[in-house]
Amino acid sequence: MKRLILLTLFAAGLPLSSHAAGPGETVIRFEEIGEKAGARFVHQTRKFKGAKSDVLEMFTSGGSAVAVADYDNDGFDDIFLVDSDEGASHHLLRNNGNMTFTEVTKTAGVGGGNDPLSICADALWFDYDNDGWQDLMIVRFGTPLLYHNERNGKFKDVSAGTGMTLFTNAIAAIAFDYDNDGDLDVMIGNYFKPVNLIELKTPHVLPNDLDNAINGGGVTFYENVGKGRFIDVTDKSGLGRQTGWTLDLGHGDFNNDGLQDVYVACDYGTDRIFFNEGKGVFRETTETSLGFDTKKGMNAEVGDYNNDGWMDVYVTNITDEYMKECNMLWHNNGDGTFTDVSKETGTCGTLWGWAAKFGDFDNDGWQDIFAVNGLRSAGKDNYIPVVVNMITTPGIDFTDVNNWPDIKDMTWSGYQKKKMFRNLGNQNFKEISGPAGVDNVLDGRGLALADFDRDGLLDMCQTNADQPSLLYRSVTQNPGNYVELKLVGTRSNRDAIGARVKLKADGKTMVREVNGGNGYAGQSTLMLHFGIGTATQVDAVEIRWPSGKIQTVSVPINRLTRIVESK
Amino acid sequence: MIRLLSLLLLVVAPAAFAATAEDHYQSARKALTARNYPVALDAFEAALNMEPDNIRYASEYRQAVIGAAQYDRCIAFFEKLVAVHPMASSAFLNFGFAYVDKIPAAGSITQVILANTALTYFSKSIEIKPSWIALYTRGNSYLYWPKIFGRASLGVSDLEKAYQMQKMDRVKRSYHVRVYISLGDGYWKTDDIDKARAIWQEGLAQFPDNEQLKARLAREGDALAEYIDSVLDPNKRVDTNLQEIWTNL
Repeated sequence: MKRLILLTLFAAGLPLSSHAAGPGETVIRFEEIGEKAGARFVHQTRKFKGAKSDVLEMFTSGGSAVAVADYDNDGFDDIFLVDSDEGASHHLLRNNGNMTFTEVTKTAGVGGGNDPLSICADALWFDYDNDGWQDLMIVRFGTPLLYHNERNGKFKDVSAGTGMTLFTNAIAAIAFDYDNDGDLDVMIGNYFKPVNLIELKTPHVLPNDLDNAINGGGVTFYENVGKGRFIDVTDKSGLGRQTGWTLDLGHGDFNNDGLQDVYVACDYGTDRIFFNEGKGVFRETTETSLGFDTKKGMNAEVGDYNNDGWMDVYVTNITDEYMKECNMLWHNNGDGTFTDVSKETGTCGTLWGWAAKFGDFDNDGWQDIFAVNGLRSAGKDNYIPVVVNMITTPGIDFTDVNNWPDIKDMTWSGYQKKKMFRNLGNQNFKEISGPAGVDNVLDGRGLALADFDRDGLLDMCQTNADQPSLLYRSVTQNPGNYVELKLVGTRSNRDAIGARVKLKADGKTMVREVNGGNGYAGQSTLMLHFGIGTATQVDAVEIRWPSGKIQTVSVPINRLTRIVESK
Repeated sequence: MIRLLSLLLLVVAPAAFAATAEDHYQSARKALTARNYPVALDAFEAALNMEPDNIRYASEYRQAVIGAAQYDRCIAFFEKLVAVHPMASSAFLNFGFAYVDKIPAAGSITQVILANTALTYFSKSIEIKPSWIALYTRGNSYLYWPKIFGRASLGVSDLEKAYQMQKMDRVKRSYHVRVYISLGDGYWKTDDIDKARAIWQEGLAQFPDNEQLKARLAREGDALAEYIDSVLDPNKRVDTNLQEIWTNL
């Protein structure tokens, strides 16, 4: 197995001479540099004890997460990698500015959380107290941890005083300002219902239905009330009725009204969409807003793939030889409804999908997609026929963990090649993972995009379950020009999460929003990246801040520009 | 005398005016024309309760159910029907089809469960009466299962039996072409491409205008695989209308 991983990594780093760029031709390409960059760490899922331990391990194998932010304000994005096994430490990797990283976990004091009764599953950087320094939240199958950034490379555990004390089996977290009051609120997505899986009191903890389950953990929503305190507003905000198996959360302003709306990706059931009505209330419009859903929502990435000014949503599902679900690329129709165009655009099949992100990898002004996949790569025997025998047994109780057959060394949707889709700009995408050098076959989970070396090209960090993380440095040839923006809120939240930027260049109008952790198990940079193709100047930039302030600015090309919200 | 006649009429009248299965069926069709699904479904069910093995009633009932998206009602109805009529092979066949009809409206794992349950009732129908339609139906259903489940060979076995049956039939019926198509698909799924092409060729000799056979024979390799995968896509609604059967009996 180790040999296979090494071979895969080696192959991923090989130069691909057969795809050398012609004169002036743009070729998206990445090289995998995790090892030499000091960013290679092997994630470990939680090991359970007793009968059916491997089934529980499989159901809880989603916690290999990555979160990116510039925690030390040196202008370079840093990386936080989550681990999940008992006693296993996370990894905080400080960016040295030369595409190498130094592990500073111990000094920072953020390695903990995998205690005997808690499993860490996701991480989120956000500046909860608007002091200009990124704080760190780690969500767990347990209670969340919040670390305050002490501005000296160290963090202080302030969890006890936050009010975020609910035990949930959390797998996702996002931060945004739902009431535009200038501070960031926290939404947590919960997979299982709130039972401790490590000390099982009942074996009936798994989904009650494999397509319409209603016994999951739903979401928990905390409002930031200042001074490091949060209060639970899940029910009050209209989110309490959702009891699905939440796998991911994505926020964005879907109807261009200045308020952040929410997409909830649910495993074993229908995804949910909630429009923010203002006054602290969300309204669910799933039935009228969305079309047919294939019931395995794994990822909720938000972005405008076709530059029409409306935020679309990309959801991964399972599309394998035994199950043809198709992903969902929800095209925002601009009237509160969405139409799935994944088949039409060529973005339907990513096998057993997990994280997926929009990003303009060639700087041509169109957002491409990278999706990671793969559940469990193990021996030659396949778990699918075995589990289907169980599933098709009349009257079987899916909730009972004892009814699920042992997995042992069987493979389940393993050894899957990752998928990168290049946006051709005409509502079509082309799969290019092989030529791009990103078609590794690890069991992917999380993904974060950032321009780690500030060369104007988006790099990627991929995390994998029970396998090493990968760091892909972009070596794209003949890319377009670019603009990178770091927004700083004053009246708005300091991170400017929820700010919308409209940039005109190269005959296009592009819209990006700063997001607080969209996409499964991966938080990308807070910096906004725009490819502008061959344009040598930007025609206009308009920022709509969460405060409602509209600000027009001029920005240079091919550099990062910091923009502070005007008073 | 008048009193006697009145009494006689009272006794005879209920029998004389009791609706037949055909009456209910005609009422159902009329209601369907008016897109009055609740009345149509009630009437179809009344007809089937009287003639549980009537393939036409059952087929048209299921098509109405699809129009009304009342899949669970249909499944519940056939469940009761076969309980009352445990030797009604056509009722079991249509019970299986009721599950197939629901597949496109279900999530992917529920699709597997529905497809597997359908096979159970197709098997029951064959057990009662190994008819051409039941063997063809079950055999074809096996082909929708991905290769990993190893069910294609079971499909081939059923379809070969159906093939033998139609060879014995003195009349060439339009629906016989289905076996040529599906049996070839079964051979293809079990990696016997030569046998697949041979049976498609044989079918084309019998049914020279059949576009599906022509399409298969015109393709090779990945193009053929893509074509057959597209045909056997569980997300597409399978045409379970059996009109061709009763109009060619």
